[in-house]
Amino acid sequence: MVLHTLNASPSSAAFEDCLRLIASGDSLLLLGDAVYGAITGTTARQALDNSGAALFVLLDDATVAGVAKRLDGVTLVDMTGFVELTEQCPRQLAWY
Amino acid sequence: MAGNSDKSLLLLIRHSPYGSSLARASIDVALAAAAFDQTVSLLFLGDGVLQLLPDQDTATGGLRNMGKLLASLPLYDIEQVYVDAEAAARYQLDLHGAPVATQALDREAMSRLLSSHDHLLGF
Amino acid sequence: MNYALLVMSSPFSGQGALTAARFACSVLARGHSISRVFFLDAGTSSGAAAAVTPQDEEDRLQPWVELAEQHPLELILCIASALRYGMLDETEARRYEKPSATIHPAFTVSGLGQLVDAGAGADRLVTFGG
Repeated sequence: MVLHTLNASPSSAAFEDCLRLIASGDSLLLLGDAVYGAITGTTARQALDNSGAALFVLLDDATVAGVAKRLDGVTLVDMTGFVELTEQCPRQLAWY
Repeated sequence: MAGNSDKSLLLLIRHSPYGSSLARASIDVALAAAAFDQTVSLLFLGDGVLQLLPDQDTATGGLRNMGKLLASLPLYDIEQVYVDAEAAARYQLDLHGAPVATQALDREAMSRLLSSHDHLLGF
Repeated sequence: MNYALLVMSSPFSGQGALTAARFACSVLARGHSISRVFFLDAGTSSGAAAAVTPQDEEDRLQPWVELAEQHPLELILCIASALRYGMLDETEARRYEKPSATIHPAFTVSGLGQLVDAGAGADRLVTFGG
């Protein structure tokens, strides 16, 4: 089980490569510019929903970006939540 | 120093050889891990596969030749080198001519590779 | 659990470096330990002693300095990256005949073996990039 932390815009190669390597049962935390990928109704969001990963978005970054209210059905996590994800997942992989 | 507990390390290398300093940094980490007797594997993924192009010539560029650096990996006993088959095909890469011997993996095999290592480092 | 962190994010661009410092605080607040924070590539600029953050932004250096003051953790800048970025301690400044040290004394300059060593002894190795 891998915690993928994705910090790259939905139009980046990092975003695409991350989605290719996610296995079902993995967790995916969006931070930085990746938070735009979770906007409800977008093709990026659809790809994230189809990835088989449990989807989380870092609250701080979603708030800064102004998208926190546009993320229907996504679990927003604060920094403690981020740490908890690293406790649950034995390995983390950063995409940026 | 290291060695009180051996953790297997997988480096995912996603960046082209000369487009950023991350390519060089990732190979330096691999060499350091090998020097400290840690088990280290490399996965060239996405644009990272471009590091495997033969004929890289840095004679005029003032840059470290990444192809030559990769060719030295076996000298450090780094022999677990994997490649994203899809990306290699996208760039028409013939892996037989790569500076280092590699094993091509499909998407599922790459996902399995992630889960079989203790620590993952993404570059 | 014991954590080791690798920071490659530049403190001058994007949110990665700020997130890394806040993450480190939260890890410690949850009762875990952090043996070492290793800064690589653009991340080494986090040790810049003389960088001045605009007044309407959070300082990039202070959170790390406070962490190192309050907890037994090491802040290590990769020497190869640090030299490229002009991040020198007193010893390196003398060695390369540069006018002065440029890193904050809370940070140490050392080799990649320190990253490998930290990873080998850590239950969790968490990377911040971008």
